[in-house]
Amino acid sequence: MVEPVLLRVIDLVKHYGDVHAINGISFDVPSASVFTLLGPNGAGKTTTLEILEGIRESDSGEIEVFGIRLRRVTRAVKERMGVLLQDGGFEPYLKVREIMRLFASFFESPMPIDHVLSQVALSDKAGALVRTLSGGQKQRLAVGAALINDPELIFLDEPTTGLDPQARRNMWSIVDALRAAGKTIVLTTHYMEEAEALSDRVCIMDHGVIIAQGAPRELTQDFGEETMIEFRGDELSADALEKLRACCVDLRADGATVTLETEDLPATMESLFDWSRSQGVRLQNLIVRQPNLEDVFLSLTGRRLRE
Amino acid sequence: MKDVLLIALTHVTTAIRERVTLFWFLVFPVFMLVVLSIIFGQIGQEGEIRFDIALIDQDRAAPAARDFSPMIVEVFRELATPQLPGQEPLFALHEPPDGEDPEGFVEREVTALRRGRRAAVVVIPAGFGDAVLRAISAPMGEEPEPARLAVYMSRTDTASQMASEIVAQVLSEIDREILIRSGRFDPSREIATETVWLGRSDAETRYIDFLLPGVILMGFFANGLFGVPGAILFNRDRRILRRYWVTPMSVPRFLAGFSLGHLALCGLQFALLFLLGRYGFGATISFAAPIPFLTLALAAVTFLSFGFLIASLARTANAGMAVANVLNMPMMFLSGMFFPIVGLPSFLLAVVYVNPVSYLVSGLRASVGVESGPFSPALLVGVPLGWIALSMLVAARRLKWDVER
Repeated sequence: MVEPVLLRVIDLVKHYGDVHAINGISFDVPSASVFTLLGPNGAGKTTTLEILEGIRESDSGEIEVFGIRLRRVTRAVKERMGVLLQDGGFEPYLKVREIMRLFASFFESPMPIDHVLSQVALSDKAGALVRTLSGGQKQRLAVGAALINDPELIFLDEPTTGLDPQARRNMWSIVDALRAAGKTIVLTTHYMEEAEALSDRVCIMDHGVIIAQGAPRELTQDFGEETMIEFRGDELSADALEKLRACCVDLRADGATVTLETEDLPATMESLFDWSRSQGVRLQNLIVRQPNLEDVFLSLTGRRLRE
Repeated sequence: MKDVLLIALTHVTTAIRERVTLFWFLVFPVFMLVVLSIIFGQIGQEGEIRFDIALIDQDRAAPAARDFSPMIVEVFRELATPQLPGQEPLFALHEPPDGEDPEGFVEREVTALRRGRRAAVVVIPAGFGDAVLRAISAPMGEEPEPARLAVYMSRTDTASQMASEIVAQVLSEIDREILIRSGRFDPSREIATETVWLGRSDAETRYIDFLLPGVILMGFFANGLFGVPGAILFNRDRRILRRYWVTPMSVPRFLAGFSLGHLALCGLQFALLFLLGRYGFGATISFAAPIPFLTLALAAVTFLSFGFLIASLARTANAGMAVANVLNMPMMFLSGMFFPIVGLPSFLLAVVYVNPVSYLVSGLRASVGVESGPFSPALLVGVPLGWIALSMLVAARRLKWDVER
């Protein structure tokens, strides 16, 4: 069953002086799904989100949210959405419960504070000052503040940036729980594995435009039956790489990292080892894997996501 | 309405919990009140300040002098005696004990004066009585050699400088009395001076009553000058405000809550300083009337808007604090907040006249009857209102509520 569209972005444009932050992007976000804007820093993800959150105004284009078409996000729309900002702060000398009470007062029908604190696993920190919280706890508090109005649409801007692996896993669990509860989530990330793990749909952005969108599996399926072989090699000459290119479908060299696409893994591996011996190249960190979103981005832009 | 109240409560709570803010909002004004009261509070209150005066009569052995040097000694001894039970006398008099060499005593007391342990050393030299007699018995038209007293003072000692005025006045009175007794001065022909005291008629203004309105306004001033741009700009730069703007909270509602919190902080400052002034230092002025209350409210709003003006002129929180620091001292000290502004050069007086603090301080003091001040009632209200209008206009056009890209 196809879910109805909760958020529709139509030909959105935003310039900062001569810089084209976003340049005519359009996408649909189905209800009760996780929609991810994936791209490197400066791709236009945060600007897109800031327009959808009502922080900035677009130069042109329209937004349709909850079935209402508008140029600018209204108070009524904000009542139904929750926002986790990428770099938002909290008053360091307020306590967790005081922060939640403050944000609850901004909405007409807030959730019980204790319920939300329990949802983000901060019940035992209710009396703690914000300045005493760890990075992960502060991020959970930010999620709590974003959920206090039981929003239908939730924006999460780089929710795991700067978090340690454990805190990142905790955040993923919260996103999974929200999706299971039927919430619609729009998140941005530059972590390919995060987008793959959490998203129902991914929209890949670069330089303010959308270069691909679809379900993660759909996007990687464009690689067909191919398998990826990746290794690191020191001081590889163009001539040596050209010889290697003959034994695979495609080859990309990114610094010392070389990625081969192959449809015949045993044959390519054999050729690779022969090449290694003949060229005197030591194959470091050799791995064989399925194509991922990083490969999609690389194949579309020639660059890696984290450049 | 709950959101507005909670924004106000947040402003107050963070100000109280943050030690640096608390220091500037509450501790520093209290500190200023205590320090200035202790240093200057006793000036001008007879009986509450004592000057150590050494008096040496080197003429007491001379028979002709018995009417004159004892008169001077008696006057000084009188001033060294409490006039009312429990009241401190004006002078603590130090005289040479019997048998001590007068020259040696003078040398010792002058050394004490140099070291700040004496405010003045008065020496009645030998032959003083004869000199007075010659002066008062000389025929009219002659100009005899005047009788001379030696008074040692210290230019580097504040108490000595203050004592010099009092000693000079005492000696002038003695001189006048001698002339009256000798028939050379007719007091009935003296020009009568009638002094008209302005301000409260029930008591002389005490320094604490002068100081307290100034310190209260200093608290309000620091609250507006540092607290307002600090809270807005730091919260903007740390993206705390941005969190509000993605919710239904709007800038006007935030402003209402913030301003309410600011006024509540001013109320707290006022209550603390007033209670300390009244019960700690015996201030007698009362603010429990509409005019003082409205003047306090006008001051709080003026400084609030002034804080918005600074916030709108600075691109970052640190720049805002720098602007506030530059304005702080001249605005505070060129306003009459702590000391009366007298004898300032004209270029500094120009600052006084454009400084809204001058009008608020003067207005508050006038409203509690401490002094009438140099400004008309229209200026007392009009200039702060003008500053409010100007500040809010600039802030409305320039103040950025979110970080720029």
